[in-house]
Amino acid sequence: MSVFPSTAAAKKAGRSKPAASCSPKSRNQKAAYLFVAPLGIGFAVFYFWPLLQTFFYSFTEFGAFGGNTWVGTDNYVRVLKDVTVWQALGNTLIYCVIGLLALPLAIGVAALLNRRGLRGVAVYRALYFIPFVTLPVAVGLVWNWLYNGDYGLINEVFEWFGADRRYWISDPSTAVYAIGTVMVWSTTGYYLIIFMAGIKGIPQDYYEAAELDGAGPLRRFFTITLPLLSPTIFFASIICMINSLQTFDLIYIMMAEKNPAIGDTQSVVSLFYKWAFIENAQGAAAALAFLLMLIIAALTLVQFRLQKRWVHYA
Amino acid sequence: MRRRTLLYGAMAAPLLAACSGQSEGKESGGRTTLSYGVWDVAQVPGLQKVIDAFEKENPGISVRMELTPWSSYWTTLKTAMRGGTAPDVFWMNAVNLQLYASNGVLEPLSGHIKSDATPVDRHPDALVKIYAYQGTQYGIPKDFDTIGLWYNKALFDKAGIKYPDATWTWDDVRDAAAELTDPRRRVHGMAAEMDRQAQLYPAIHGAGGYVLEDGKSGFGDERSIEGLRYWTDMIDRGWSPPQSAMVESKARNRFWSEKAAMVYEISAFSGQYHAVPAIKDHGGVTVLPKGRERATIIHGLANVISAKSRKKEAAWKFVHFMAGRKAAEIQASAGITISSYEGTQDAWFKSMPQFDLKCFVEMLEYAVPYPSSKNTAVWENLQYPLLGAAFSGKGGIESAARTLGEQMDRALKGERA
Amino acid sequence: MRESSVRPASRRRFNAGSVATHAALSLGALVMVFPFLWQLLTAAKSLAETAKVPPTFLPDTWNWSSFEEVFTALPFREMLFNSVFNTVGRTVGQLVFCSLAAYAFARMQFRGRNALFALFLSVLMVPSSLLVLPQYDIIQRLGLLNSAPALFLPGMFSAFGTFMLRQFFLTLPKELEEAARIDGAGPFRIFWSIMLPLVRPALAALAVITAMWSWNDLLWPLIVNTDPQKMPISAGLTSLEGQFETNYPVMMAGSLIASLPMLIVYVFLQRHFVQSVALSGSKS
Repeated sequence: MSVFPSTAAAKKAGRSKPAASCSPKSRNQKAAYLFVAPLGIGFAVFYFWPLLQTFFYSFTEFGAFGGNTWVGTDNYVRVLKDVTVWQALGNTLIYCVIGLLALPLAIGVAALLNRRGLRGVAVYRALYFIPFVTLPVAVGLVWNWLYNGDYGLINEVFEWFGADRRYWISDPSTAVYAIGTVMVWSTTGYYLIIFMAGIKGIPQDYYEAAELDGAGPLRRFFTITLPLLSPTIFFASIICMINSLQTFDLIYIMMAEKNPAIGDTQSVVSLFYKWAFIENAQGAAAALAFLLMLIIAALTLVQFRLQKRWVHYA
Repeated sequence: MRRRTLLYGAMAAPLLAACSGQSEGKESGGRTTLSYGVWDVAQVPGLQKVIDAFEKENPGISVRMELTPWSSYWTTLKTAMRGGTAPDVFWMNAVNLQLYASNGVLEPLSGHIKSDATPVDRHPDALVKIYAYQGTQYGIPKDFDTIGLWYNKALFDKAGIKYPDATWTWDDVRDAAAELTDPRRRVHGMAAEMDRQAQLYPAIHGAGGYVLEDGKSGFGDERSIEGLRYWTDMIDRGWSPPQSAMVESKARNRFWSEKAAMVYEISAFSGQYHAVPAIKDHGGVTVLPKGRERATIIHGLANVISAKSRKKEAAWKFVHFMAGRKAAEIQASAGITISSYEGTQDAWFKSMPQFDLKCFVEMLEYAVPYPSSKNTAVWENLQYPLLGAAFSGKGGIESAARTLGEQMDRALKGERA
Repeated sequence: MRESSVRPASRRRFNAGSVATHAALSLGALVMVFPFLWQLLTAAKSLAETAKVPPTFLPDTWNWSSFEEVFTALPFREMLFNSVFNTVGRTVGQLVFCSLAAYAFARMQFRGRNALFALFLSVLMVPSSLLVLPQYDIIQRLGLLNSAPALFLPGMFSAFGTFMLRQFFLTLPKELEEAARIDGAGPFRIFWSIMLPLVRPALAALAVITAMWSWNDLLWPLIVNTDPQKMPISAGLTSLEGQFETNYPVMMAGSLIASLPMLIVYVFLQRHFVQSVALSGSKS
């Protein structure tokens, strides 16, 4: 019935404990609205109202400097008929799949960092945090150097193993994956922070009890860490999916305008950016963004539906 | 209920403040402050000198530069335009002029030019034309760029080839490129980067083709294709690295590091060439070689006035001053760009005596204006993705160019609709 | 007693495993730190060297003047101050607004909860650049362009933070709350003094993530605050990027200096990651 199983569980819990009388319950209702209100007002002003406006604009031809004329569904028709949109959609899905690889990596590192008795944990944590504080331009510069077809480090390594040199980011067959790799690199540290917080939320006595039972580190990981971390993993996987579907910055930084593989790496948001801010087609760009939103919403819904199969709440 | 009024009050207060601030054209003391939107940090010191001179002549006006980096300049400007907070005077380029002019956000200047006898005719005609739309002038150029041929004397000496000069044709370039290419040392005769302003357009016009004429694309034209083939041929023969290799190591970087013996380059980069010791020592520059015809591309920035400015009178005074000889000379002595005012380029030549920079001005005679239309960016964005494969040594320039021509025509048709 | 029986066996395992663990973690750390190192090396190069083909790894001559140039090229101190203001504003805002809403979504019952939560989540699904224009209009109508609040206003409200904290609130056992309710504590008391401390690792993580995003945010500050004196450092650094030439050494030096405060904040907040939350009286 409910989209969110956790809520169903909570409802059941509420029903099984009818101790609370009527008046505190309504007091609770009021309190709940008060808790939500500040954020709700902020969202209404800065997100929902602009969103509504933009939705209206997606049915107009939107002048570069204001002023719009109603064009009905023309923009949506243009989006659906444009081959570059479908290509961008395909690329975006590839980014999404690659991007999700950051999660197992981050969980693995978080679990390693959680090992008791490990020295230098604070140092590692600081080092893994560093991609966060690195300027995006620097990220682009260094990876472009690593991928450099003539002089890059990666090609040196490959050549040493006897493989051929490649122009990683300008070869249409490798460029998407090259960017995807950088994406995983730049987001692992970010999910690591979330997972570290999640792991630290797991009561230590569980581990102690398991250790008493003679469970090894691997078993403790699979029987305690993973299940108890599952709400966090669920959260991270949704965020990861949404973020990967909105990939833009990295492509913008790494793919020079003259890169011959640009069409093969362009994401939906890159295309949106191009239409909206360079080609002055804001109306069509808005329509494209709403199409993307629909896709994201559908995939999120699926994940929420699937969560009861694997997410354990306390 | 009371709470709601309070909230409204709190929101209205800054609103009112904003309104009162907006209605005032002049600030206290009768001084007008103009904002001047620019994007190139390198030009700021030189421009400040021009502004100082202007303020001295016009004690009631001060000018404050607003520097927005190139990568976000147009996004920011467009946003500010919608909100009416755009700078009073700002930089414009060929790609955007018609878009801005046709949307009525630029102040028409023709009337002012006439009544103040602004010396617009002292700026290159091809350049001035770029900033007119439907017979009205919207901007006055401040500087200009043409494309020249750079060569590395040491590499030429080693190969025993005479340096390029004004007599050179495309055949001479091809012969030299073949000779100069040395795969063992990873040296190429030419670095034919896929760049519309420095390579594609000059070659298309050099072959007798065209990019845009009477609202129609020239990319499908036989001669235009011949021009493009001038480049792809060099790539196919190995005389130039493919575009896929120049994504990471650009043509000019290869030239500076003496990995390319020749390169076509925009004059604005001359200062950077001069800053590389090897090039300062044995680099040279000359006019573009002749194909079927002589051609180079001219582009330059112009100053324009926002139609929404509330200080138009002062803004015009500033733009008028910027169009004059004095401003041009100050700008030229800063040595960053070639000022477009006739005969004021001496200071720029002298700033880099090692190079024959006069060639950039000599080419004015046959310089072709940078092509643009109402929504230039749309069809420009088609070029690199469609031509990329052919410029990466995968062949098929002819069909790629024809496809580009068709798609560009469709985009141009969309502009008129 | 328990210790004496478990320790020896586990210590042997630890020693064998810890070498492998260190090896794996060090390799990962190297990959993570490499671009940071690259920034440092670039900052020490001359401008001409950054343009070389083939690119050099170590500078030909070490030259540290870029670190001084940053301070003359930009109003660095004002920009740093704006960054701090922006970061604190957004982080505090998110911690307050998101934790309140997240708690309600996770642990309170009210009509329209699911619909409202789905609506809030939808904010996540919008590419942020889609809203830039209308958000700019609002800031302008409020008369806040080129002001400090313009920097952090929309960023104080986050669907990400709400969703994240909600997930953490959901993992807490019900018993604590119910015990407090029986003791007569009101909803805000329960939230503030019982539940909130239990999600401290999550709050610290959210603070770090928000602070980082705010510190590095680029497009929004560039659009609302065009006056260099009102720009945060992230936006200010991009003005070093010329049309024809970017002074990479100075830019990298600037970004290194700008990232130091964030590193310090992180090291300071780390404490909260290290300590587990004590859940006395939880399921046993």
